[in-house]
Amino acid sequence: MSSSFKIVLGVVAALAAIALLRFQPWHHSATVADATVHSGPATGARQALTVGFLPVTCHLTCPVTDFASKQSSSGTNFSSQRFTDFPTVAEAVKTKKLLATFMIVPLAMKLREQGVPVKICYLGHRDGSEIIVRKDDPAKSLRDLKGKTFAIPSPFSNQNLVLHALMHQQGIADTDIKCVPLPPPDMPIALANHAIDGYFVGEPFAAKAEVDGTGRVLYYAKDIWPHFISCALVVHEDLIKEHPDQVRDLVMGIARSGAWADGHRVEAAKLVAPMYRQNEKLLEFVLTKPKDRVSYSMLTPTDEDLQKIEDMALKMGIMKKPVPMSELIDRQFIPKDIQPAEIKMPAAIKVAAR
Amino acid sequence: MIDEKAPHETLTPEIRTRPFEKKKQGSPKRFDIASLLLPLLVLGLVLAVWAIVPTLKIRGHPLVEDYALPPPLTVLQSIPDEVHTGRLFSDTVASLFRIGAGFSLAVALGVPLGLWLGSRRSVRAALLPGVNFFRNLSPLAWIPFAILWFGIGDPAAIFLIFMASFFPLAMATMAAVATIPVVHFRVAKDYGFQGRELLLHVTLPAILPQVITALRVTAGVAWIVVVAAEMVGCKDGLGYGIYDARSALRLDLVALYMIIIGLLGIGLDRLLSQLTRLPGVRWGYER
Repeated sequence: MSSSFKIVLGVVAALAAIALLRFQPWHHSATVADATVHSGPATGARQALTVGFLPVTCHLTCPVTDFASKQSSSGTNFSSQRFTDFPTVAEAVKTKKLLATFMIVPLAMKLREQGVPVKICYLGHRDGSEIIVRKDDPAKSLRDLKGKTFAIPSPFSNQNLVLHALMHQQGIADTDIKCVPLPPPDMPIALANHAIDGYFVGEPFAAKAEVDGTGRVLYYAKDIWPHFISCALVVHEDLIKEHPDQVRDLVMGIARSGAWADGHRVEAAKLVAPMYRQNEKLLEFVLTKPKDRVSYSMLTPTDEDLQKIEDMALKMGIMKKPVPMSELIDRQFIPKDIQPAEIKMPAAIKVAAR
Repeated sequence: MIDEKAPHETLTPEIRTRPFEKKKQGSPKRFDIASLLLPLLVLGLVLAVWAIVPTLKIRGHPLVEDYALPPPLTVLQSIPDEVHTGRLFSDTVASLFRIGAGFSLAVALGVPLGLWLGSRRSVRAALLPGVNFFRNLSPLAWIPFAILWFGIGDPAAIFLIFMASFFPLAMATMAAVATIPVVHFRVAKDYGFQGRELLLHVTLPAILPQVITALRVTAGVAWIVVVAAEMVGCKDGLGYGIYDARSALRLDLVALYMIIIGLLGIGLDRLLSQLTRLPGVRWGYER
């Protein structure tokens, strides 16, 4: 039995050692901090708010806001937490682990429909999505793509809704083009490998195929629907009730970061590249070629725009019952006067380890 | 009372005297060199193919594009940055912690459940269908519930590893108990063994070799599950590293993490295989 005892002892010791390395009690850190990509530099901040985002240019203002949060007047340090997929974001919001996040608009509507008390307080950006086909594809419109397979990021994405709306507009039946949901990062490679014939997605996954030389833009979102909306800032009502000052600060921060990003596109790419862990050149391409590929102004959600999205979602059966716009949108935090954030570009951007 | 070693001696006398040691002694040095060189040779070949394939061209077009298969050198170049930021280390520790916690929990509960199932017909009748049901559910199907119940992070991943290894372990232990020859128990009864003694001196020694094999198999499954679970339910860990690198369109990092995962998997299995060297279970491997 003594050798068995030794084994048990060894296992316990090894587990304890790994647990120590995992939690590093000598390294005191908040539970949120170990999951954040980057923590805002607010000095003397009294409170912290974690905001979720995905590494898509739609959510670019999120890490910028966190970087600029030293200008916070409510003493809030905004920390951006990077997620990799929307279902996880939705689950985190449902369980109130995340009270403010960027999210695709129809998904926010779906959450509201399911009774999760969330509000759309602001938008992520305008345009910034493209329909991409293979470079050698002679198609001039969707009509030339009948019988082909298209990838969309999620059934709950506005890309899915708008693609179908465009198909109807061109007189194509739903069944004429096969739509498959695919993780955005896989889309450029799937296109190159002929697994799909085209895709509609937010940046930088559309530009990736262009930069790689495998795809070309068939439609810019702005050509299908000027000022196309993909994502919005979604805030849980608990946070709105308990800390309206934080929400006001966050919306102000995003508005000002957006105004800054609009005018400092090369710098914005440089600033977020390490936070996104993406290639700076690719982000620069997205933000500058052409310049109106992405826009970070006009971020106030209007009833008209969101109603249009909801109507499409209802028509497609993605939503079952209408959610009134008054329940969905909360515009009280949007500032009237938006000045670009004052951001000093650091020599080197320090990104916290996971 | 009877000497502690007696039942073991009584039950497996012919096995204990098998000349296993002799077989092992046959030119150990050459064996060691071959077992070291052969895998290295294969590894070198694989690396060479990997390095050559991206450079091949057919009618001026590369056979495989760089974005579809990052060359080994690119993967190598990605190491310093990952080491420097501490990500590689913290991801590895996170995954090891989750598998350590989840797997230990599964062993601590699964093996006793298996013993119970194996020794009581009524318990088996009552619980076996349930165990079988859950054993056939992919642990990944639990991901949404794991996140809703436990949030994002360690507890969700530990739960998934537990679900992946608990049921197969219980089943394997139960099957092992069921295969113990009845004669062992009869002899034990003659010696007046009951309860704890019966468990420690008859049942456990008889099933340990099979249980250890089950441990190795389920640890492999658990390792697969931790990596998959981290892709959605976590904010760190090797699986998350892969998913994150993929979102960032960095296939070189994906390849690097895959290599680390594979190597750690081998290490884990090697560690568990050490259990077969225990004097009490060696009989199970000497054939």
